[in-house]
Amino acid sequence: MVMSVAQQQGFRVGIDVGGTFTDIVFGDLKTGTLFNYKEPSTPDDPSRGVMSGLRAAMERFEIAPSAVLAIVHGTTIGLNAVLQRKGAKLALVVSKGNRDILEIARGSMPSPYDMYAQKDVPLVPRNLVFECGARGGPDGATVAFPEAEEIEALAARLRDAEVESVAVVILHSYANRTLERELIGALSARLPGLEFTASSDVWPEMREYERALVACLNAFIVPLKRRYFERLESGLRSLGIDSPILISTSNGGCISVAAARDRPIETILSGPASGVVAASGLALTLPNRNAVTVDMGGTSADMSVCEDGRPHTTTATHIGEFPLVTPVVGVSAIGAGGGSILWVDSEGLLKVGPESAGADPGPVCFGRGGDRPTLTDCYVALGFIDPDHFLGGRMSLDRDAAHDALRDIGRRLGFSGPDASERAASAGVRIATAKMAGELLKGLARQGADPRDYVLVPYGGAGPTNAAFLAEEARIRRIAVPQAPGLFCALGALTSDLRRDFVRSLPKRLSDNLGKPIAEIFAELAASGSDWLSQERIADADRTLRFSLDMRYRGQAYDIEVVAPQEVALSGDVARILEQFHDEHLSVHGFSDRSAPTEFCNLRVVAVGHTDKPPASRAAAVDSPPEPIRRPCYLADGWTEAIVHQRADLATGRVVQGPAVLEQDDTTVVVPPGWQVEVAEQGHLDIVRKGSS
Amino acid sequence: MTLDPVTLEILGTRFSSTVEEMGLSLQRTARTLYVKEAADFGTALAGLDGRFFAYPNGVGVCSFIDLDCRRIIEAVPDLQPGDVIVSNHPYESGGAVTHTPDLTLIEPYFHDGRIVAYGWTFVHSSDIGGRVPSSISPSSTELIHEGLLLPPIRLVSQYQTVPEILSVILANTRTPEDVEGDINAMRAALSIGRRRVAEIIEKFGVDSFLAGQREIIAYSRSKARAVFRKIPDGTYSFADYLDDDGVSRVPIRLHIAMTVRDGEIELDFSATDPQSDSPYNIAAEGRRHPWLTLRLAAFAYTLDPTIPLNTGLFDSITIKAPSGTIVSPQYPAPVGIRHVTAQRVYETLNGAMSQALPEVMPACNGGVLIPVVLAEPQAADGSRNVVIVEPVVGGMGGRLGADGVDGRDCSIANLANNPLESLEASAAVRVIRYGLRADSGGPGQWRGGVGLELEFEVLKDGCSILGRGMDRFCFAPWGRHGGHPGALAETIVNRGRAGERHIGKIDVVPLSKGDIMTIRTPGGGGYGDPRARCYDLIERDIDKGLVSQEQAASVYAVVLDSGQIDRAASEALRKSLPCGDEPNRDDRDPVRSAWDSLLEGEAGDALTRLWQAVAIPQRSTAKRQVFGAALNGASTPNWSASDLPTLEMQAVERALVAEVEKLLGARR
Repeated sequence: MVMSVAQQQGFRVGIDVGGTFTDIVFGDLKTGTLFNYKEPSTPDDPSRGVMSGLRAAMERFEIAPSAVLAIVHGTTIGLNAVLQRKGAKLALVVSKGNRDILEIARGSMPSPYDMYAQKDVPLVPRNLVFECGARGGPDGATVAFPEAEEIEALAARLRDAEVESVAVVILHSYANRTLERELIGALSARLPGLEFTASSDVWPEMREYERALVACLNAFIVPLKRRYFERLESGLRSLGIDSPILISTSNGGCISVAAARDRPIETILSGPASGVVAASGLALTLPNRNAVTVDMGGTSADMSVCEDGRPHTTTATHIGEFPLVTPVVGVSAIGAGGGSILWVDSEGLLKVGPESAGADPGPVCFGRGGDRPTLTDCYVALGFIDPDHFLGGRMSLDRDAAHDALRDIGRRLGFSGPDASERAASAGVRIATAKMAGELLKGLARQGADPRDYVLVPYGGAGPTNAAFLAEEARIRRIAVPQAPGLFCALGALTSDLRRDFVRSLPKRLSDNLGKPIAEIFAELAASGSDWLSQERIADADRTLRFSLDMRYRGQAYDIEVVAPQEVALSGDVARILEQFHDEHLSVHGFSDRSAPTEFCNLRVVAVGHTDKPPASRAAAVDSPPEPIRRPCYLADGWTEAIVHQRADLATGRVVQGPAVLEQDDTTVVVPPGWQVEVAEQGHLDIVRKGSS
Repeated sequence: MTLDPVTLEILGTRFSSTVEEMGLSLQRTARTLYVKEAADFGTALAGLDGRFFAYPNGVGVCSFIDLDCRRIIEAVPDLQPGDVIVSNHPYESGGAVTHTPDLTLIEPYFHDGRIVAYGWTFVHSSDIGGRVPSSISPSSTELIHEGLLLPPIRLVSQYQTVPEILSVILANTRTPEDVEGDINAMRAALSIGRRRVAEIIEKFGVDSFLAGQREIIAYSRSKARAVFRKIPDGTYSFADYLDDDGVSRVPIRLHIAMTVRDGEIELDFSATDPQSDSPYNIAAEGRRHPWLTLRLAAFAYTLDPTIPLNTGLFDSITIKAPSGTIVSPQYPAPVGIRHVTAQRVYETLNGAMSQALPEVMPACNGGVLIPVVLAEPQAADGSRNVVIVEPVVGGMGGRLGADGVDGRDCSIANLANNPLESLEASAAVRVIRYGLRADSGGPGQWRGGVGLELEFEVLKDGCSILGRGMDRFCFAPWGRHGGHPGALAETIVNRGRAGERHIGKIDVVPLSKGDIMTIRTPGGGGYGDPRARCYDLIERDIDKGLVSQEQAASVYAVVLDSGQIDRAASEALRKSLPCGDEPNRDDRDPVRSAWDSLLEGEAGDALTRLWQAVAIPQRSTAKRQVFGAALNGASTPNWSASDLPTLEMQAVERALVAEVEKLLGARR
């Protein structure tokens, strides 16, 4: 029996495995209370850190294993395996004449200016790419299929190659999925135990190179992901947790561990996506529901855009040097993180990054051997971060060492006098901020968005510290700092819905009547989506199917996505779809041409199974908050007395004028002069530029 | 005023993010396919002198950092806020426009009633009129064939479009909606630039803004100069060739003498051939121009990727190019396919630089960029499906310590290809092979990258194939330091079947249903003696199928035993071989050697006298005349530059000198 989880009581658990810490958040589905726990990560086998963290957290918060109703887990194992090239030994089977599909790729080079640039090293070397006589046509026809003898020979070559995993990419298989299935059927009968990935099963979209990459990436990480999930499952069972295990996906949703085992490619970028999901949840509570998120951690800052409370997804992202076309939450790097190093170049200009001190040795003030100042050292020198209360006092920082290192930078910039180190620190923050603002504006320009319509949602350890400077520079008027910005990715995992994307490219048909094939394919995709949601035991009331088409004017090289209402999609109502395409084109590209011929490329269905989420919890009322202290901060090129609050001491509705610093365990919020902060009803901090709200 | 280093760094950041934001906006809203597909557009900020102090990195075309807009600006006096100048005239713009489809807009940015900067943008429009759709044809012989010509004029006056100008433009294009859409997109990009400039001035003040322009240029100049100082002082000369001049089979010679002194560089094109009657000309007017210095820019950027992209990067370079050469043509020489010449200038400069920096510079790249175009027969309604099958390029040159890149070449443009599945869904072709071309990389200790092979069957009668920009059928991409040249380009119809034809450089080839077309692009040149290549790399190449066992045995001098290298036997073989009389011989291409020796001797001197005596517009005719008469049949289609080594060189030289004298005599 399928049953809704909506009425259940207990906890939903989000787990995010980062490079340094494994973050665990328990969300009480009844009260909305969140319990956070940080456990050092165990990079050699991340499931160990997950287990020890869960055990310790359940003990501390007195939560019984049986009260855990679902675990949502984000992992970067697949991503790291690709970046470090530590996946399975792989072979690739392609159509005749197509052996160099990975060597040629899309033909361009990573840097046009660099005469020493090398092209990407293919996931499968040329000698492990095998051609075979299978081939389709653009109309879905089978142009060629190999005889038994050729299949036998191919199987022998694969056996001799001693590979663990095989990707199969046949030309036009998106329009004829039996081609690869039959070929794999014939091969796997001869090669038991070998993993096969059919490109048309993982991602049946036209464009052979991109589809081949999805298949190869999947095949590359299938064996190690399978092993990891086995360890995870048995570990959880040994803790007495028998709840469903869900794995965060790159599209901002999650899927069951069983689905993730077969298609690990869907989980590859889940880490950054989860944070954005949490931010979009916050954006939904804001007046215009548009947010630009900035996740600023130790080594870098990433941005993404949420429009109307929905994260922007993209089908043009990269895994290392490889393009990825499956829909993922759009996240792009915009510059420095807290560990980014300040240096003075040969011409005397101050630079911040791209080199980072990372966690080891870390900033100078960590006292772990780092001798080059970082942005974090700047925050300390400027008085933003209290060296005695970093991470809630778990770590004490060496402020003098930070000053000394910054004074040296100041000297090389020609600064003298008692505040040379503060001036250097202030310059470092301004330069890093200018760079971030530039990238942020470019990211918005790509989507034709105006920064003045967006609220900045900063998270990660350094995000809220730098947020107001960034907003000032990018002319953003409002900032919303979430409750636990340092645990945002785990929170995002916890609050994500089940979600899978399904795609089919429309085969080329000569007839004018496109309505019929469109209706047929949408019906197929909808059935796939519904079947999946049933497998995941999602009740009918908690299901959503979203239908869309990629369309273009004939001759254009780029598609736009047109969302169609369900009845329009399932009836193949071409006239209404076209109408919507023209409107959408006008709004995205600034023009439309109703007389121009159009083309349909891909049909998509997104299946969503809504999960139960903890209700938003308000900041607790504080009976007698302690008197705030004051401390000098170097803001606007001089020392000024800032008022310092513990965030936990501020009740809902409380307003504090800048200059102010709000401290919490996982970050420090800086409110410069000219800005004010209010503890919002929904629990976040609402920071606005005075006179602009 | 002098800026403090922090303000300068912040201004530099703001400048570049502004031009990139302009570019991203343009890319999103422009109408023309070239923008979306090939990123053939640009945005920048120019200072009061018309040169760029900010240029995007990776948004739009990468090659135009050093354009000079001064002539466009000077042509329109009394600019007011909200004015926008338009031009597409390669000559009247002083080379700031490089061919007619590049519709260029410039807006002055004002502060307190005076101009403080200019916004610049261009889009390669789908059509600006002229003889053929898309405006560019290899057979155009005058600029006027290449479309409507717009000298610099006001398109927008104080924020209002001048309707008369717009109507003339739209009446002279085959794609008025596209062109109007492009103009709107460019104006939107310019207004973003205007807004951001105003914000920068609001925050930093106008004096800092102006000082920032000067100082960021000086900063790039200083950083680039530091790189150029790595080139030892001296003069280095090199010549390379285009297979023919487009009108006859006589090749075009590009010659650069590069003189370096303490990081200051002069490029002397005086010995480069006269302007052509084909659209190979680069309208640089004898001044510094991005198409002539691209290799130096890549060099500087490779050795110091932190140099901000602006005109300062080029400030240590001067150009000498007397009027009338192919890189300083006079109106009305056509310029449509100037990128073919630009590519060869790039290689020629590479050759000169590699003499100065043998261990730094790579051997020659494949050096072609060919959009292979299929035109299907006209449909009943008059429409005609024209698609790019694939844009094909060659391999890149080997260099000390690294093989050349296989099957890709981004030297003058970094184009993406066309997925076979999209292609076959939109055109009547079936691709039989699209892959790397084995054995085409120039052999060397560091192998040249292999070229590509594209083979496809045409599925309809009445189709034709166009191959604009084909070259390297006669002069191979050269190797360095004992490295061998890459393989020449080849085009074959019905390979391996009855009626197989090697057709060489193509303009238009008609094909019928079932015909098979094969295009093979050149490999990059090799670096170092192939007999010094390490066995592991040779084995890897054999394993991967990029080098055949035959080539390994004959050129790399290894002994193979059932597919494996017998190292002891190979070592013995390599030791037994004579060292070669010229271990550092750079050129193993007999065709190039023959032409070099012919033109660097008395015949070259005679030709120089000829150019001096003949008026610029008549020079290319005179050239064809003397070569046609001296090289029996050089003006006929069956002859090619590759035939020169088969002739008796002294006789050719004498004949050429005699023909020059005859022509000069007739003129006296």
